[in-house]
Amino acid sequence: MTNIWEKLAKLDRRIIYLFLFLVVVIPLLFPFKLEPKPMPPVVKLFNYIDTIPESKALIVSVDYTPDTEPELHPMSIALLRHAFARHIKVGVLTLQVMGLGLAQDALSTVTNEFNSRAKTNADSIIYGRDYVFWGWQTPVLVPILGMGENIANVFPVDYYGNRTDTLQIMEHLKNYNDVAILVSISGSAIPFYYITYAQTSFGVRIGAGSTAVQAADFYPYLNSGQVTGMMSGMKGGAEYEQLVEERLGVKGRRKATDAMSSQTAAHIWIMITIILGNIGYFALRRRKK
Amino acid sequence: MTVSMNPWIWVSAILTLGIFSFLYKENPFYRICEHLFVGIANGYAITFYWHRILVPTLIDPLSHGQKLWLIIIAIIGALYFTRFIPKISWLVRIPIAIVMGYSAGASIPRAIDASIVEQVRATVVTRSTFASVTNGIYALIILIGVLATISYFFFSRERKGILKPMSYIGIIFIMVGFGASFGYTVMARISLLIGRLTFLLRDWLGLIH
Repeated sequence: MTNIWEKLAKLDRRIIYLFLFLVVVIPLLFPFKLEPKPMPPVVKLFNYIDTIPESKALIVSVDYTPDTEPELHPMSIALLRHAFARHIKVGVLTLQVMGLGLAQDALSTVTNEFNSRAKTNADSIIYGRDYVFWGWQTPVLVPILGMGENIANVFPVDYYGNRTDTLQIMEHLKNYNDVAILVSISGSAIPFYYITYAQTSFGVRIGAGSTAVQAADFYPYLNSGQVTGMMSGMKGGAEYEQLVEERLGVKGRRKATDAMSSQTAAHIWIMITIILGNIGYFALRRRKK
Repeated sequence: MTVSMNPWIWVSAILTLGIFSFLYKENPFYRICEHLFVGIANGYAITFYWHRILVPTLIDPLSHGQKLWLIIIAIIGALYFTRFIPKISWLVRIPIAIVMGYSAGASIPRAIDASIVEQVRATVVTRSTFASVTNGIYALIILIGVLATISYFFFSRERKGILKPMSYIGIIFIMVGFGASFGYTVMARISLLIGRLTFLLRDWLGLIH
């Protein structure tokens, strides 16, 4: 028996990788249906956005780069679906230069979904009327503090080169006073910057979408009410997708939900390896004694 | 199965496999992909900095004879490059000092407010905390956790008396925190693997829909 534990202790890590690969791939090829149960932080964010009055806007700050796209991109898409389904005005920006392409992708995906179903002009999602993509500005303190004074000064031209002060949506979107909540979706500390600078100075509400690695760091801010609601990792994205489809009936590809069967299988596999590793460790230690 | 005919998908797929090849062992294919990534990422960022920041905010106004005071700012910014000239490399301290001074001035009061005052306020237990029993219990756990964890990091006195049990409880809270962080880290890393494998199986090989 001890021999087995010795072999396991010396197991080539590439064999573990191979198993992990299979554990992830098989559920992707043959998925089993999982319906994520939305947790309170996600429900809080959803409920707050759901009750945004017509006079206020939602700002989505796409502050992630392609390396965290699988975790965070579904959140942006789900948020935009929610906002457009409720006819909430949306301003999109990024504080990461590589977030530009991702923000553009999320916007085109969701606007195409809505516009392909729209029957009238009022149903359509129109640039400059229903949403604006301001683009990117740096360093982070400049846009975060500047938007509290005047958004058009921080972004004189939008991502497409239009003067922002000529856009219809900007008539009622001057600064944070016109914003119901700003949701920063990020794989870095950018939501903290929004809390520290935008919220402390201007009182704007902050929502967060974070990678799972960072989620534990955000919970104290959720507990204190500094973060209104948050989505953590791929599971958080899947929960928001679930709420958007379940409560608003908005259909679309649910990237995070589709991946949850692989995610679950991989977690079970890792738990098994941890348990086996610990049993082996204690068995070998006893033998040495 | 419908394999993609898009050459860019093929480029992405080959580069993804190149990075994955590191899992077997380090090899030249992986190195090429890694260097390509670093080079392209920097090139992309520099292009945007030039077109979106330097041209509209510095070069355009100056070329029209407006905002001439920006020349001083540009010179101060350019002092960063003195780093490459050993004789005058000390000049780099000027822009660094300005940036540090601005950042510290803007950060310190707000960081104290956001990270200390608000956090302490949220930790304090009052009568209203117990309006809901569940919330009250959670608030007590948080209060005990905060006090115990702080006692664990209190090194000015020997761990005797009340400090001893408190620091032991602190260790439990710290371990629970590490466990939660580890669990979340596993989820994050697996998510990235799923993202790439979905790309390979869906966008490249057309095996899933």
